Amino acid sequence: MAYFVDRTVKMTWWERSYLPAIIKGMYITSRHFFINLFGFVPFFLGQKKEREIFTLYYPEEMAPIPVAYRGRPVLAINENNLPNCVACGLCEAACPAYCIDIIPGENSGKQNEVERWPKEFTIDYAVCIFCGNCEEACPEEAIFMSDDYEIPMLDRKEMKFNLEQLSVPIEKLKDRVEFTRKMYGKWNY
Amino acid sequence: MILELTITLVKIFFIIGLTVGFFAPVLTWVERKQSAIMQDRVGANRADIMGFTALGLFHAIADAIKMFTKEDFVPQGANRFLHTLSPIIAVIPAILTFAVVPFGGQYELWGTNVNLVISDLDVGLLFVFAIASIATYGYVIAGWASNNNWSLLGSMRTASQMISYEVTMGLTIIGVLMVYGSMKLTEIGAAQEDFLSWGFFMQPLGLFMFLAASIAENKRIPFDAPEAESELVAGYFTEYSGLKFGMFFMAEFIEMVTIGAIVTILFFGAWHIPFLSAATILSWLDFLGANGANLVLMLIHIAVFFAKVIFFIWFQMTIRWTLPRFRYDQIMKLGWKILLPLSLANILVTGLVILAIQ
Repeated sequence: MAYFVDRTVKMTWWERSYLPAIIKGMYITSRHFFINLFGFVPFFLGQKKEREIFTLYYPEEMAPIPVAYRGRPVLAINENNLPNCVACGLCEAACPAYCIDIIPGENSGKQNEVERWPKEFTIDYAVCIFCGNCEEACPEEAIFMSDDYEIPMLDRKEMKFNLEQLSVPIEKLKDRVEFTRKMYGKWNY
Repeated sequence: MILELTITLVKIFFIIGLTVGFFAPVLTWVERKQSAIMQDRVGANRADIMGFTALGLFHAIADAIKMFTKEDFVPQGANRFLHTLSPIIAVIPAILTFAVVPFGGQYELWGTNVNLVISDLDVGLLFVFAIASIATYGYVIAGWASNNNWSLLGSMRTASQMISYEVTMGLTIIGVLMVYGSMKLTEIGAAQEDFLSWGFFMQPLGLFMFLAASIAENKRIPFDAPEAESELVAGYFTEYSGLKFGMFFMAEFIEMVTIGAIVTILFFGAWHIPFLSAATILSWLDFLGANGANLVLMLIHIAVFFAKVIFFIWFQMTIRWTLPRFRYDQIMKLGWKILLPLSLANILVTGLVILAIQ
C-alpha cells in the first residue's frame, strides 16, 4: 500500500486558503457521525447495516484468538491425568529469559511411565517473554503456549506458577498441538 | 415590583440552571460520545446504576463525584492565593455573559411584558466581549501561580492568542453593528425576523471570521496551542486537580454555549424560524386565546433558540474532532495577516454597501 505524495503540486489561492480541505474533512467526519447515529434505522427495516462498530466490550467479550497466538505457556496433562513432562530440562535450557525452573524427581512407578518426572515445575510469568522457545524445544509435547493472556497480578511473587497451576488437560490444547506438529515437525522426532 | 422581581429571578434560575446544571455536565458526555460515534467507536458506556447505563449519561455524574473527591493539590512554591483565585476568575465571566444573552423575544402575558433576557443592556454586545476577555486574566494568573514552566508557557500563549483574535472579533462585530444599527442583543435579534435579513446573508464573511476567532478565543482545537498536550503537558492548568481543574473545564464548555448563543443571535436569526413569522404562528394558535397563544409562542421561540445553540455546539465539536492543531506561528499568521485585513475589508465593503443603499 505504499504510495507517494506529490509535494510539488501548485495550489490555487482557493485551495491554499485551507477552506476546501476543511469542508471536505468536516463532510467526512459528519458523514461517519450521521451514518453511525442513524445506522440502526435501516437495520430495523430489514436491511443490512451500513457500518458495524468493531469495538468489543472487553471483559465480557473476547476477540477470537488465532491458533498461532502465544499466550502463557502451560503444561499439558495427558489422558491418564499425568503430566507429559519428563523433566529433561530442554525448555529450561532453551528459555532466553531463564524463567523456567525444574526440579526433577526419580520415578517411583506411579507418577509417570518413564524414568523421570518433574517434582517441581515453576514458570515465572513476570520474567517470561512469551517467545515460545520452550514449546519448540520440548521433545515430549509437554509444554504449550496457550491462548490465555489474562495474567496480570497485584504481586510479583504470585506470578510464579507451580505445577498444579500450570497444568491444563491436553483436550483443551488440541488445536495448538496440531499446529505445533505442523510447524515444528515434531512428528519426525 | 414583586412580579418583576419574580420574573427576573425565574429567568436567572432558568439560564444558570440550563448552562451550569445542564449544558456543562452533559457536554462532557456529548464530547466523548460524539467523538466516539464520529470515529466508529462506542464511547463512554461503563458507568451504571444497578446495571442501567443510559447510554453512558451517568459518566457526567461519575466525573462530578470524581472531581469533588479528588485531592486539591497545590504544588510547592506556588502562590496559594492566586492558584485558588484563577479558576474562579476563569469560570465567573463565562457564566456572567448569559446576563445579556436573550433567549426569546418580548411577549404580552396577562398584562405583563415579559422580555426574555435577564438584563437588557444598551451595550449588551460590548458587555459580552468585555466580560469574556476578563477570563483571560484567569488563565494567565493560573500559569503564573503554578510555578511550572509549561504552565507559564501555556499562559503566555493564551495571552498572545487572546490579543490577536480579540482584535478580529471586535472588528467583525462592527460589521454586524453597522447592518443592524444597535448594540442591544435583543434588538439585533428582533431585527432578524425576515429570513433574508439574517446576519448569515448580511455578513457571510463576518460569520466565518467570527466563528474562527471565537473558537480561537475558547482555545479549542484547532487553536489549542495554549493547552497543547503534546507540547506543554496541559498548558496553564497542568498543576490543577480536583474541582479547580473542573472549573477550568466547565468554563470551556460554558464558553462553547456562549459562542453558540452569540453566533445564533448575531448571524442565525436568534429565536426566529425561517419563513414563519411570529404573527403567522399566533394566527394558528388563535384557539388558545391571546395569553395562551403568546405563552406557546414563547416556548416555541425558546426551543428554537436552544436548538440553534445546540446545532452550533455540535458544529464546534465536529471542528474540534476533525482538524489537527495549528502550529503557533500559523495561529499568529492567520490572526494578524489574514483575518485582521479581511475583517477591515469587511467593514469597508459593508460601509460602502450601506452608503450605496442610502
